[in-house]
Amino acid sequence: MLSKLKETLLCLRPGKVTLPYPAQAQPTPENFRGVPRWNGDKCIGCAGCASNCSARAILVTDICQEIRVLNYIGNRCTYCGRCAEVCPEKAITMSRDFEQATNDVADLRQRLELFMSTCQRCGRCFKISDVLEQLKMPGYRFDDFEQARWVCRSRSFFEGDPLVDDIRIELD
Amino acid sequence: MIASVTAGLLNVVMVLLVSPFLHGLQRKIVARIQARQGPPLWQPYYDLLKLAGKEDIEVGEVPAMQRFAAYLALAVVLTIAFVLPMGTAAPGASIGDAIMLVYLLTLMGICTILAGLAAGSTYSLVGISREMMSMVTLEPLFAVAVLIAGLHVGSLHLDLVLKGGVYAVAGIPWSGLAMLALMLLAFQAFVQRIPFDTSEAETELIEGPLMEYSGPKLALFKYAQMAKLVVFAALFIGLFAPWSGTSNLLIAWLVFWLKVVVLMLFVTAIAALHARYRIDQAIRYFVVMDIASLGALVVAAYGH
Amino acid sequence: MLENLCQKMFRRSLWVYHANSGGCNGCDIEVLNVLTPYYDVERFGIKLVGSPRHADVMLCQGPALRSTADALRRAYEAMPAPKLVFAIGSCACGGGLWFDSYAVLGAVEKVIPVNFYIPGCPPRPEAIIYGVAVALGMVEKKAAPVVFKQAEFPIPTYHPDQLCGENELVVYEKSEKV
Repeated sequence: MLSKLKETLLCLRPGKVTLPYPAQAQPTPENFRGVPRWNGDKCIGCAGCASNCSARAILVTDICQEIRVLNYIGNRCTYCGRCAEVCPEKAITMSRDFEQATNDVADLRQRLELFMSTCQRCGRCFKISDVLEQLKMPGYRFDDFEQARWVCRSRSFFEGDPLVDDIRIELD
Repeated sequence: MIASVTAGLLNVVMVLLVSPFLHGLQRKIVARIQARQGPPLWQPYYDLLKLAGKEDIEVGEVPAMQRFAAYLALAVVLTIAFVLPMGTAAPGASIGDAIMLVYLLTLMGICTILAGLAAGSTYSLVGISREMMSMVTLEPLFAVAVLIAGLHVGSLHLDLVLKGGVYAVAGIPWSGLAMLALMLLAFQAFVQRIPFDTSEAETELIEGPLMEYSGPKLALFKYAQMAKLVVFAALFIGLFAPWSGTSNLLIAWLVFWLKVVVLMLFVTAIAALHARYRIDQAIRYFVVMDIASLGALVVAAYGH
Repeated sequence: MLENLCQKMFRRSLWVYHANSGGCNGCDIEVLNVLTPYYDVERFGIKLVGSPRHADVMLCQGPALRSTADALRRAYEAMPAPKLVFAIGSCACGGGLWFDSYAVLGAVEKVIPVNFYIPGCPPRPEAIIYGVAVALGMVEKKAAPVVFKQAEFPIPTYHPDQLCGENELVVYEKSEKV
């Protein structure tokens, strides 16, 4: 009985350790990796971040000769920081924001439209002639982000269908 | 007659109003012992109201029995509240006697069993088997306490039994004190708190007999569980600590509720500092106490 | 009147059911952290329950796998209305790193409708509490789409006949998608 009383007093000694979180914000540590933020003025459109993204959450495509669009679809991002690490112009910073809860997943998107300059001689953006060479070049891909789910390689329907024998490789 | 009915209704109303508040106080104290800020004191009221507003999904083997068990649980607890003396004379003294009280207590345990049977899933059947085991080993304790009081007082009238009947002998009431010690040790099990809540509140481990309940019926069951604490505290106080010091009705009534709060603090402190017993450990504990209580009954039969 | 009261009480006492449909347990641990004394979430009235029938909110974590999609759907349908679903972690929000794996269907929203998304890998306990606070209406959400346009000129149409006249820039349209 006495040991229980002592235990009660011991438990009551620290008082209340609850951090008053939404009322007061707590500072994040030094190297905390929050949401990646692009600086549009520094970005050169090399799409190095897109090819290094672990979750393929960054998609880059040209919408016309001079405009290259970089789309960060934030729902799959794992905040690993590889994009920031590989960016040659240090245009990506992993900010300290982690309060990204939202009821609409489109709130997490970031979109950069970059102006790509053209060659002074021929007036075109640099582009590799052959499709195969284009596919082999790292960093730049023909990702069509209107249908970002094209990257899924397997599909299955579970309403009524058996859950096997339904792998279809989708090539887009 | 009218006085006793009013007293009974007052009991019921007080139990209905006060038991969620006491439950909230319990949660707050447990939280403070765990060094955190707990839920607000009125949290169980919010819980019950929210549950009452949810959709009611009736599922399980026998939905009619599901409904019946939910209503029966709260009804039995409120009936016991009507019958017990809570600061006043026992309102149920004209209705029945101590045997009826023991019967009602057993009926309370059966409600959970009906609930689990109505659901019919594996988890609820395991839960009710544990509840049955606990009931078989626990109910004799209160029954023996009431019997000892009846033996000493010479009748089974509720008023006489529940006014400290266990102490009504000349000299030192050995059996009374033994039963007091045993009931203090076993009180946690009656109100289904840690360390003995392996049957119903095992929503934390497996889902238990309340698994298939949702919405308003769950609110009824939760209310019944909250009210059980007050009702059992009233029973305990009536049997073992009924002195109020004055004959002024209001003061006696307030002193009674103060005693309930003290008992509740005791229950909470033990609940916050213990782990839950497994069912076989709990049964072993209860069986030892059953044997001790039979010993106390024998001593009482010899007039001590 | 009672209905109104019940609906107002909904946000003060949310009972939570935790469903992990194939994740790595990182977000599990963060959700459990949220229930510990430091980040005590019980002060908002939130309680962890073991059965979906008792719960108001389902915390989903982990992507929807082909093997667990059925179970997730049944747990969702077992919850009584009104109900909310929170998708915690980047696996539940969008499939995470495993979005194109053979065993993964994708985000949890392919199986059940999701009300709130809390991205992160794993999200900090504060981020989870922030998500709960946004759902309860205590704070405003901070995430907003960001658009940066370096040059603003009209996107050309594709037919060469329509290129003449308006502007000096001669823009060659993209060749057919490969």
